[in-house]
Amino acid sequence: MRLLRAELLKISYQRAIWGLLLGSVLFSALGTGSSPVIIDRFSEQFGGGSLAESLYVDGVYANAVSGYIFAMLVGVLIVAGEFHHGTAVATFVAVPKRSRVLAAKMVAAGIAGLALQACATAAGFLAGYLALLAYPDAASPSIDIFINTSLSSLVSGVVLGILGAAIGALVRSQVPALVGVLLWLFAIEPIVILLLPEASQYSLTGLMTGIISLDLQAEAFNVDLGAYLPPLTATLFLFGYAIVFAIVALISSMRRDID
Amino acid sequence: MTAIVFRNLTKTYGKSHALDNLSAEIQPGRVTGLLGPNGAGKSTALRCLVGLATPSKGRARILGRRYARLQDPQRRVGVVLDSRGFHPGLSAYQNLHILTTMGGIDKGRIDEVLAEVELTEAKHKRVKGFSLGMKQRLCLASAILGNPEMLILDEPANGLDPAGIAWLRGFIRARAQAGATVLVSSHQLAELEEIVDDVIIIHKGAVVASGPVEEVTGGQRLEEAFLRLTGGDLS
Repeated sequence: MRLLRAELLKISYQRAIWGLLLGSVLFSALGTGSSPVIIDRFSEQFGGGSLAESLYVDGVYANAVSGYIFAMLVGVLIVAGEFHHGTAVATFVAVPKRSRVLAAKMVAAGIAGLALQACATAAGFLAGYLALLAYPDAASPSIDIFINTSLSSLVSGVVLGILGAAIGALVRSQVPALVGVLLWLFAIEPIVILLLPEASQYSLTGLMTGIISLDLQAEAFNVDLGAYLPPLTATLFLFGYAIVFAIVALISSMRRDID
Repeated sequence: MTAIVFRNLTKTYGKSHALDNLSAEIQPGRVTGLLGPNGAGKSTALRCLVGLATPSKGRARILGRRYARLQDPQRRVGVVLDSRGFHPGLSAYQNLHILTTMGGIDKGRIDEVLAEVELTEAKHKRVKGFSLGMKQRLCLASAILGNPEMLILDEPANGLDPAGIAWLRGFIRARAQAGATVLVSSHQLAELEEIVDDVIIIHKGAVVASGPVEEVTGGQRLEEAFLRLTGGDLS
């Protein structure tokens, strides 16, 4: 327990992590706040749908999940940051049982990811609400969208925090790890989805979308949100990713020397 | 009980041998100097000892067991391996607070150790603004947080000015007088000559001499004995 407390203390002391929290709040708020404008302006591409329909208003609020990338970056910083600053030596000398250190780091990364996504999603909901005030004809959102989006956000926060920490432990070098995560989410996943559309439901973004369970279609944007895995299956898959990466990172860390 | 034992310790990186069947013993309650030129394998031996590097062959034991098996290692052994062990964006207090939390050590120790290494005034200053000497002293502060019975110091005099080196000598001497076992590595022999009881001289990953200083030096100065034993290689 004291190891976990120490990891959470480290997180609370680091300005970079507070910066990422602020980034995730702004990113989610901007993404959600700008959605009504996009849906209103590109109504035809959304199959003639408009904000007068509850489904499209739900689509606005679903964007509140979009700060997830920052949860993964926080996870990377929690582990790779130790190697970057040279504090890994002090940490592993103070607590030589590496599996315990890494387990504490991953739990701390999960908690940090959860907290970060909770703040970002709340900010997104607020921004969406304020943006929709400009559209008096907008329908009321469903209650489900708030529950499902919150669930997706919190699950993704935990999972991506752990995944980030696992990647940080595997790569160790901070900049390549951060670049790798960004490439994964913004280049590799979109390319794989483009080439193998049926694989999109197993991608990280696809699984998060699956948890939101929104049946929204926009052929012009090649979007069919109804084609994703059911929420429970998607949640299990996300946790599966986290567990696999965490185990690989643990095994790798036990075998490598600490520099 | 012998405080530290290196037994046939070998560490290879590819085809190069950083340590080659290194065997030595460090007795409790004494200050032992681990001496050797740069690249002799001093740091590698210490890293193997505290579990940061895995030996290719042989073993290193501390207080009779592997370092990772020690109960509450921060309270048994204080370790300084390099001056980069602190987050530069955090203050001295914050860095030490993390370590006390990890080790379950009373927070009140932070002020005590900072006073002991004369860094009280820099308590809330960020480490990135510290001089090398201040960082070395902060490392020593972190090593004594748990008031350990043993200190392992890797090149603690690196980068210190003459006043800093004199201070370091006083620090080690005070710890030794309090009954602590100290293992200190260095390639700067003059700095250690006055404070070590025993020496282990290593060269190219193997021990070339070990024992009480007077026995190893045979009446010569430590530097002269070292040059004789290592074939004049003081690089």
